[in-house]
Amino acid sequence: MENTFCFESYGVRIRLESDSAEILAKAVETASSALLGQMVEIDCARTEQTFAFPSRLDGDFSIIRNGESITTDRPGKLFWKFFDSLVRIAVAEWAKTLIFVHAGCVGWRDKAIILPANSFYGKTTFVAELVRHGAIYYSDEYAVFDESGLVLPFARRLSLRSDGNGFREAQIDAEELGGVKGQEPIPLGLVFITRFVANCSPEYEFLTAGQGAVEVIPQTIGIRRNTAFALKVLKNALSDAIIVKSPRPDAGKYAREFLEFVDRTAF
Amino acid sequence: MNNSQYPVARKSGLVVQEMPDEVLVYDLNTNKAHCLNQTAARVWKACDGKTSISEIASSFGKDAHEDLIWLAVDQLNESELLDGRVASKFKGQSRREVLKKIGLASVVALPVIASLVAPSNALAAQSCSCVNPTDCLTQSCPSTNCNSVGRCA
Repeated sequence: MENTFCFESYGVRIRLESDSAEILAKAVETASSALLGQMVEIDCARTEQTFAFPSRLDGDFSIIRNGESITTDRPGKLFWKFFDSLVRIAVAEWAKTLIFVHAGCVGWRDKAIILPANSFYGKTTFVAELVRHGAIYYSDEYAVFDESGLVLPFARRLSLRSDGNGFREAQIDAEELGGVKGQEPIPLGLVFITRFVANCSPEYEFLTAGQGAVEVIPQTIGIRRNTAFALKVLKNALSDAIIVKSPRPDAGKYAREFLEFVDRTAF
Repeated sequence: MNNSQYPVARKSGLVVQEMPDEVLVYDLNTNKAHCLNQTAARVWKACDGKTSISEIASSFGKDAHEDLIWLAVDQLNESELLDGRVASKFKGQSRREVLKKIGLASVVALPVIASLVAPSNALAAQSCSCVNPTDCLTQSCPSTNCNSVGRCA
């Protein structure tokens, strides 16, 4: 295709291409936003991931990842939101020197607290409350670990969902919650394996580093592709951390109690 | 000679990471992660096909009941961390009965293997499971159609 843009992000080299200059520009803009501007344009000779956006006669566009057709649709809000997700997953999966764990993450007393969990377990809601209570915002999506096990910020705008009769999603900055974004790598202090259970009382179960790793591995994006490195990083990260498992009640009511628990037990 | 008396630790298709006092094993075939506690890990490492279960028990000293080693072998077997199947010594007995018997006879920690399956990366990032189309929208799935099996597709 005649329009191409190639970039490197978190060590992953990606090629974007389309027969439409306008669509390519939107893809670049979306990728840049998804990857927090961590993009450096590179020569297209040595890219390892390709996203192509060919047009169709009916005005739709496809997203083709490495030759595999992923979707075809009008290039509207949902289309670009989906690509935003795809490009982040591609980077998380293919990064060679970093490990991305699907988790909320905050800094507290110069250490990281991570909340590994699937979508819809209330990660962002809880992270937002922790930030409101003075924690430093690192991420509502990925805890990013370097080889030594330090946690790096991936502080995209928080994606807060509201449920009920009509779905709404609000993108907000940590500053709007009265918080600040983390800037520096910090050691992991606590892994909290949790999910929201209405009106529950926390029942804390302490896990060993190995048991914690078993819980974190399902949320580790590159585990299948870069297994040995991921396990090494998890060992480095978890060996000195406290790992706790418990259901949690409503984030707004529980955030302060949780941070007090952290102060008593971990930091 | 009963081959099950000489178990062999599986080597192929595994990535092993030593942790403080534990061993983490990732099975590349099943994408399962296993955490072996000290006792389970020690038994697993001793399963070289030349050392009998009695000899492995002896290596733990007089404090270890042979059934403890059998329990570890049973769990290693269930976790597919041995080459070939090993017939269980505890056939017909409940786990509770076995644990009670061993727990009383041994001062060595009981072998424990914790396991979980790692989902595909897309699943880790977005499950795309749904009960209504709104769920699909919130997860940025490729379709807003929530199909009959509860997937956005």
